[in-house]
Amino acid sequence: MASIAHGPDQGDQETAATTENSTTTRSPKPPRRGKVRRDRVSTHEGFLTHKNGRWMKISALLAAGLIALYIFVPLPGQHFGSSWLGYTLGTVGALLILWLTMLGMRKRAITPGRWSLKAWTSAHVYLGLTLIVVGTLHSGFNFAWNVHTLAWALMMVVIISGIFGIWVYATLPQALSANRYDEDGAITEKQMIESLRSLDRQIHDAAQPLDPQSAALVEQSLDEDPFAGNFINRITGRYPRCATRHAAGELRKARAYRPRVADDPVDKIDALLTRKEAMLGRMRRHLKLKSWLQAWLYVHVPVTFALIAALSAHIVSVFFYW
Amino acid sequence: MSTPPPSTPTGYLVRQIALKSNGEEIVRASQVAGDELTIGRDSSCAIHLPDLAVDPLHARIRKIDDGHLMIESIGEQPFDVNGRSVNRRELSITAGAELGFGGHRIKLDRDAETGLPAFTVRRVEAVSDSAEDKDAGTVYTLKGLLPGKRMSAWTFAILVLVAFLALPIWSYATYQPLALHKDARRPAGFHADQTWSSGHLSLAHKNLNNNCQACHTKAFVAVRDNACLSCHTQDAHQHIADGGRLLRARGNPEGFAAFQRAVATMFNRPAGRCVDCHTEHEGAGAMPATQQQFCTTCHDGLKSRLPDTRIADAADFGTAHPEFRPTIIVDPTGEKPLLQRVAWSEGLRENDGLKFTHAAHLSKVNGIAQMVHRRADMYGGRSSLECKDCHQVDPSGTWYEPVKMEKSCQTCHSLTFDQVGGTFRTLRHGEPAMVVADLRAYYRSAGPVRPANLSGLARRVPGDAALQSTAADYARAVRFYPTRADQAVAQVFSKGGMCYDCHTVIPGGAASTGGFTVQKVAQNNRYYHTGWFNHKDHTKTDCAFCHAKAETSNDASDLMIPGMNGKGGCRSCHVGESGTHLASVSVKDPVDSGCAMCHSYHMDSGAPWQPKDKRNAAVHRADADRPRLPGEAALR
Repeated sequence: MASIAHGPDQGDQETAATTENSTTTRSPKPPRRGKVRRDRVSTHEGFLTHKNGRWMKISALLAAGLIALYIFVPLPGQHFGSSWLGYTLGTVGALLILWLTMLGMRKRAITPGRWSLKAWTSAHVYLGLTLIVVGTLHSGFNFAWNVHTLAWALMMVVIISGIFGIWVYATLPQALSANRYDEDGAITEKQMIESLRSLDRQIHDAAQPLDPQSAALVEQSLDEDPFAGNFINRITGRYPRCATRHAAGELRKARAYRPRVADDPVDKIDALLTRKEAMLGRMRRHLKLKSWLQAWLYVHVPVTFALIAALSAHIVSVFFYW
Repeated sequence: MSTPPPSTPTGYLVRQIALKSNGEEIVRASQVAGDELTIGRDSSCAIHLPDLAVDPLHARIRKIDDGHLMIESIGEQPFDVNGRSVNRRELSITAGAELGFGGHRIKLDRDAETGLPAFTVRRVEAVSDSAEDKDAGTVYTLKGLLPGKRMSAWTFAILVLVAFLALPIWSYATYQPLALHKDARRPAGFHADQTWSSGHLSLAHKNLNNNCQACHTKAFVAVRDNACLSCHTQDAHQHIADGGRLLRARGNPEGFAAFQRAVATMFNRPAGRCVDCHTEHEGAGAMPATQQQFCTTCHDGLKSRLPDTRIADAADFGTAHPEFRPTIIVDPTGEKPLLQRVAWSEGLRENDGLKFTHAAHLSKVNGIAQMVHRRADMYGGRSSLECKDCHQVDPSGTWYEPVKMEKSCQTCHSLTFDQVGGTFRTLRHGEPAMVVADLRAYYRSAGPVRPANLSGLARRVPGDAALQSTAADYARAVRFYPTRADQAVAQVFSKGGMCYDCHTVIPGGAASTGGFTVQKVAQNNRYYHTGWFNHKDHTKTDCAFCHAKAETSNDASDLMIPGMNGKGGCRSCHVGESGTHLASVSVKDPVDSGCAMCHSYHMDSGAPWQPKDKRNAAVHRADADRPRLPGEAALR
């Protein structure tokens, strides 16, 4: 399993844990002085592999035990929520949901020690996966259009969005890092915007001699908010109405019919706009990756609260019509 | 800076304001000579605006008089004057003005020192959008692009709580008075508390799907029997009326079951309610088939829990079922036959008042078989009689009709006593008085026929020998001819007579029946009343497989009904629900038989209830969270 280097929110830090040299590698040679190695050996251990997958084992054991109970314990009636096993599974599931939700509170309280946040996160992930077993066995596979199945469905939405979140956390940070590196080293988010500002200033200066029409084109590029675009633009990385690309294209088109002169300002602007396009492209890839890293939480968290509401309605309804 | 003479102020003053990085302003002032002045991006312009939104030569300013200036666009490109977009405008120096070109703002006023019109130029917009302040903490996130997490969490949660908690409670509250009324129904359509239903009601309760309160009468109170009894006034259990006794029969739960019972009681779910067994919301099908466990929870070891019960302990049919107790006729002579339930045994006898030899009638080699063989018109060339020649099923196919003498016996056991022309006269079966009367009438009008050669007119063989012989025969015939009808009557009712062959005839009786009494006959058409048996389900089995004695018995009082054990007994094929049978019984084609195959909870004369769709029997199981008893383990 790929180790998760670091959370995406730490994007500005220059640590780049790698997967090539995994945590178990003990490099015999100390790194040479004076030369910064990019492939540093990381002692980082992701929450998925925390303590050698302790919570994975605990959760797998729990799930296997519950499935065995479901199959082998002879119940007098159907496997229903109303059997003793059903009530037990339901209680366990409800408490588990509340505890899993508390990760949101736990992560805001920074405390060292036995129950580190990493251990908590590891347990959150694996016990959350176990919840699929607990919740589904509790239902006894009786699904219908009612509040009970609604609670189950919302639970599944939360869990599946969580699985998706783990997947993006496990795969995208490497792409994020790769995107930030070029021949000059890594670039931070702050540097990205600074470099755009610098390019814009240069373009502005270079465009002074232009005729009004060309100047208007360049002005569009300068006036464009580099962070513009809706959620779809962000998540796909496609910006079909990019003013910079439009300006560069139009200028090139206009210049193609003009005689070449030695010191044409359009040449310089063309070069600058090309650089700006490249910079924008990199920033938009960065934004795309970050959006994927964040978007699942916009499902995971709100639906969790919808789930808790549905769960409350489910529990009240069961005792109301007892 | 030199000051021009105040009397003739010519030219303009231009102040360019730039911002230091710390926000301080730097003012660079310059004086422009002449009456005219241009504004544009071109560096040759007096007011040079390095702004791409400004034309290279955008506008020209002329002096009209001391107090007024005219500003007009050079390339028909508008600009702002006091917030209005114009192409030309007269400006009053005294009143001042604010001009807007692209991202620049130019303020016009009269310089106090020199009296010249002064233009103060200030850049108000950044060179580019990117140069503006960006909140580094949020621009790289999805903030603003998607509804906030907190916001949508609250929205979703409140929506769910309203739709699935508040509305259902409201719909409960508004229809509550309808509870416990048999015919009360909520209006058709959607009611919010239906979203609470955990599954469809069974077919029988289909019309209550819309009426949660019909059963769930009180909030937070588990369904009680009074809800069931508001409709089921007549048909609630006949099995056992006393609910307390039913609970005692189940016995006190032990171990985990006791714990479950305790928890259920704590949560206000008392044991022994109808819904303990009659669970609902388990799908829209018919009522599920009854499992063996449903019965054995009480009936296995019942005596130990209910010492006064008259019911024998019963559990698995294959291994732990009490001996059958058929209802047999012990005395057929009364007004109604006297019946008695007796434990089945190998030599059990039943007195039905008839004489019959099953073995002789079914034989393939005796005279009866010969007769059957010869009467191909009637028996189709068979070599012997078969059961169905006498025993006919009733229209339902479940039981057999009583054997009728006229239909089944009379073809051979003819009651013919006289022939008139081609017509045979027969005695009336079942009416001894009529038999006697018919015989007396016959003998009143007839005697033996007198031989013709005894009259003098007949041709004779010489000599007396033949005549003497005929005379002697006739004399004997006359002597022995039952000229007295009484004699014929006595013959019919005595050994060797027509009636006596099949019926028990005892001396003593009314004169109308010749002083004899033909004993009453009773035929039993149902021996097992607490268990169900259907011949229709057994048509593939040969009759003699179960009624094994028929081939050997020559005594009508031998009971042909099979019992549980023995040759042809039910256990020859039927094993327990889970296939168990006694070691002493060898079963060739076992049929798994739960209690409900033969027994019904609500006893009547019909078949035990079974789901029509056999698949349901496997899918649904009737009982719910009933406590498990320690004894049950032994049954598995």
